[in-house]
Amino acid sequence: MPSLKILTFPHPLLKKRSHRIERIDAQIMGLIVDLIDTMKAGPGSVGVAAPQIGVSLSACVVDVSGNRQGKDNNHGLLVMLNPEIMSSSGRSIMREGCMSVPDYTGDVERPTSITVRYLNQSEEVMTIEASGFEAVAIQHEIDHLEGILFLDRILSLKTGLFRRKSYQ
Amino acid sequence: MSRNISENLAHFAVTIISKDRPGIVADTTEVLFRLGCNLEDSSCTMLGGDFAMILIVTHEKPFTKARLSDEFKALQERSGLVVHLRTLHEDEIYPVKDEGELCLISVYGSDQPGIVYRVTRTLADHKVNITDLNTRLIGTKEEPVYVLMLEAILPPGLSIEATSELLEPLRRKLAAEIGVRAITPVSL
Repeated sequence: MPSLKILTFPHPLLKKRSHRIERIDAQIMGLIVDLIDTMKAGPGSVGVAAPQIGVSLSACVVDVSGNRQGKDNNHGLLVMLNPEIMSSSGRSIMREGCMSVPDYTGDVERPTSITVRYLNQSEEVMTIEASGFEAVAIQHEIDHLEGILFLDRILSLKTGLFRRKSYQ
Repeated sequence: MSRNISENLAHFAVTIISKDRPGIVADTTEVLFRLGCNLEDSSCTMLGGDFAMILIVTHEKPFTKARLSDEFKALQERSGLVVHLRTLHEDEIYPVKDEGELCLISVYGSDQPGIVYRVTRTLADHKVNITDLNTRLIGTKEEPVYVLMLEAILPPGLSIEATSELLEPLRRKLAAEIGVRAITPVSL
């Protein structure tokens, strides 16, 4: 199946919460293939969420194994349906960009390690622990399923990091 | 913005500095809004007790700098803003897209003359392109500390480690801490 066009903001679907997937049927299997193909076609892409290809269902794919920052710490290709973050720890900042918000990047703080539960394509309930770049990628994709863009999470202006506090 | 749209637009750089108070941005952008100008790019921040604005402004041609200047004159007289205008040439409109790695270079140490100059000269000599820079004097009157933070794009072939190595003589000369780290954005 060919890769699909990534929707960009202000497409309304990108700010909408996705619907839970109730059962895995041919339509869902097709969606999974589309997500994987679209991720593979995007230059340097490490994840795609269903709303980004115009489907308001809680499904995303993540694969950071080919990325310099993720190659030593990853679970390979992850197909995640109805993913939920069960717990998280640590905080770290990474400068993120998103295919749905081209030409803009910003520093986003997220938990460093997460435990995430999801259904895989074989309808098995999976629970994995992810950290580092993979954890960032998973959280970024899960945000898409909630209608949250990284723009909603930018914690400071670039220069804000260096702003003097006023002590009075 | 596509190239053919921007060809019909006059581009201006507007610099405004004023003693800080609430309303500087609103006053400035009100003038631009009434004129029908668009704000293409901007960076505004506090510098000491002043607020500084750098704006790239466009207006459909025909439109002259004099028109913009006239409109700002009243604001200038009313509120003491210092406004400077410059017409941008065609080759200044689009940012140069450098391909190399983006890094953050932090420099801090006891205040002394020449920190910014020496660091940026070394970087310039190696074709490192600074994209953002902040400095601040911190610490106490007795022990002032200078902090320089800059973001720069390394030329192809120059690594983070090699850049750090280039700055080694300055670490000794300035007795300053100099860190170089990658901040290349992750594309998700």
